[in-house]
Amino acid sequence: MFIKKILQLTAILLFLLIPIHADEMFSKVALGEPVLIQEGAKKHWCPTCGMSLKIFYKTSHAKDKKQFCSMRCLIVDRHEHNGSFDKVQVVDAKTEKLIPAKSAFYVVDSEIMGTMTKVSKLAFTSKKDAEAFVEEYDGEIVDFEKALSLAKASLSSDIAMTNAKKEKKIYPMGEKIFKKMCQQNIDLSKYQQINELKSAIKSDKLCKPLKGMRFQALSLYLWEVKRVETLGQSVEIVKVTKEEKCPVCGMFTYKYPKWAAQIFYGEKHYSFDGVKDLMKFYFDPLRWGKYENSNQEKITKILVTDYYTQKAIDGTKAYYVIGSDVLGPMGNELIPFEKEANAKTFLSDHSGKSIIRFDKIVEKEVYKLDE
Amino acid sequence: MKSKINLYLIEFAINALLRAKSKNIFILVVFTLLTTLLTAVFLITGSIKHELQTTVDALPQITVQKIKAGRHYDIDTSVADNIVTIAGVSEAVPRVWGYYYFENAGVNFSVVGIDQYESQYKESLATLITKFDFDELQSKNSMVVGAGVKEVMSSSYYSEYFNFIKPDGSLKKMTIAGVFDADTQLESNDIILMSKEDVREIFDMKANKATDIVVKVPNPEEVSTVASKIKLMYPDSRVISSSDLKISYQNIFDYKSGVFLALFVVALFTFFMIIYDKASGLSSEEKREIGILKAIGWRVDDVLKEKFYEAFIISFMAYLLGTLLAFAFVYVFKAPLLREIFVGYSQLKTSFELPFVFDIEILFLVFFLSVPIYLAATIIPTWRAATLEVDEVIR
Repeated sequence: MFIKKILQLTAILLFLLIPIHADEMFSKVALGEPVLIQEGAKKHWCPTCGMSLKIFYKTSHAKDKKQFCSMRCLIVDRHEHNGSFDKVQVVDAKTEKLIPAKSAFYVVDSEIMGTMTKVSKLAFTSKKDAEAFVEEYDGEIVDFEKALSLAKASLSSDIAMTNAKKEKKIYPMGEKIFKKMCQQNIDLSKYQQINELKSAIKSDKLCKPLKGMRFQALSLYLWEVKRVETLGQSVEIVKVTKEEKCPVCGMFTYKYPKWAAQIFYGEKHYSFDGVKDLMKFYFDPLRWGKYENSNQEKITKILVTDYYTQKAIDGTKAYYVIGSDVLGPMGNELIPFEKEANAKTFLSDHSGKSIIRFDKIVEKEVYKLDE
Repeated sequence: MKSKINLYLIEFAINALLRAKSKNIFILVVFTLLTTLLTAVFLITGSIKHELQTTVDALPQITVQKIKAGRHYDIDTSVADNIVTIAGVSEAVPRVWGYYYFENAGVNFSVVGIDQYESQYKESLATLITKFDFDELQSKNSMVVGAGVKEVMSSSYYSEYFNFIKPDGSLKKMTIAGVFDADTQLESNDIILMSKEDVREIFDMKANKATDIVVKVPNPEEVSTVASKIKLMYPDSRVISSSDLKISYQNIFDYKSGVFLALFVVALFTFFMIIYDKASGLSSEEKREIGILKAIGWRVDDVLKEKFYEAFIISFMAYLLGTLLAFAFVYVFKAPLLREIFVGYSQLKTSFELPFVFDIEILFLVFFLSVPIYLAATIIPTWRAATLEVDEVIR
């Protein structure tokens, strides 16, 4: 009787376990207790990006008492300190133990998403495990050097990808969380690395308790925006009143807010319905009327509207695309961008001819646009 | 002064109108009804157009859905992270929402999940976030409902809380923490707001899935480029831009207003028939009257003036009465009968109200469609009769 009951129970248990195992997909989260080599409360987070090491455990790399969420963060840290890649340790994705990276077998380009990069790099001690993994999730087996060079090659595009995401999504979210949940007088200069900040927020209760994703957004905002305050970009648009007319073409500029551009002479300013007209005026104000006091030396500020973000940007520092298929109110235009990468994307999207800087623009080229 | 209004003539005109009381009252009634109908039609279309416009304007620029086997499917939230990296995109927000069918009342509620730290795709939601703390709502298992939902719930005796039935049959009790008024009725009378986690629980969605993703593109000219890029990145997605949606909304509206147009044509046709009947000739009695007036020394222009006053008094009175009645009909009595044509917009059988839109153009349009035509229809035959020889008319 007793044995029968046990058999029944095991049968039920097995039945319960089978579907769970069958459905399980590979996850980067540590199944057991993760090995964390950093000291103190900060050991739970990556010192470069602040992400949780437990959640991204299987892509984790360690070097000199620092443990990173990914090879990418390791590279960033090494670049900062001009350090070498000797004695790097990596987590074995199968056994979850730290092993020397030099002798590990790396699987790259599998179906598993990378950590902070598009291509994941997972390490195994034994070649067998790596092959079994490739069998299931595709990919290619390489050594540490090759994986490292791949990661280095994709570093700039990875950084661009995460930066775009941070600027458009994470920083605004972090700012809202900071304003609502935290003490407003956090002294950020006390901390060396982002993981120290994170542990301080948690242990000193600088903020109300937060969950993973929000905690990370808050920390990134504090660390990368609040601490440096370089991201104080103007969210302003070019403001044009209803009376203002473009001195060059005579059209009302408020009707074309997408193209608004302005030249400031101290207090005074003129508004234009496009960079092209602005440039015509810039080169030769007298041609358009009695603008004796408007020569180039007296210009204090030039504002143009970024095509993508529609925000006001400094015209002298912008990147301009010419020859594209996008027309402004006055036809062919010089289309302004704050960032070069955006200008390049636009150039290929809208079959533009070239990208030029403000000081390289010549009067003849501007008039050529009208032909 | 030639152009001075002759008060005696006006007095005479009023008396003349009163003499043929029954006939003139009949004309007044028919005329009033016609202007009422015309104005009501215009007012309702105007209101609904306004409502539609505000709804359409609030739509996100691009909505991305995942399509699997031709059906809408839950989309990965990581898709939003990739979309946001496209140049020209300023925000990509995964939305968690769905329709909850409430059997007792036979209505659908739109259950919408909110993460207060994300950027909101609608102005109205952004203002609601300042009023309610959705983290707190979540910890207390509560929600915020639209005024229409509140009404439906209380009629089923759910005045404090509501039990949602989850897909596995278990109940999720949510207390009503607050009621919000909708800006426009069509848009949000049926909305229930709660935290994203609660919505996921009610609809049994996974934590990394969303219903769809809304994308904000600051420069409207880039919408189509961005849309095609998303389509390239995710071939299994359906990318709907707001201009597409606008067209489909407009199609529904155009279909409905076609029905109205038919009504309008009938009304106008009837009106012109009456006018034609009147313009085709005066009765012999009226001709006699004109003849006598001329015989006692009235000039042709005096006769015309008197008739003009007569026609103007009656038509303008009918016009004023008609428009007032129409305003009362549409905005006080909520346009019974006529409104039924347009219901079917909203998921919820709510008392959707027509927003008050005062458009002076409508009043002018109805005025010029009715008053001058009636005036012309009176003056022209009078002029014909008045220019005849007196003895010919009286004889």
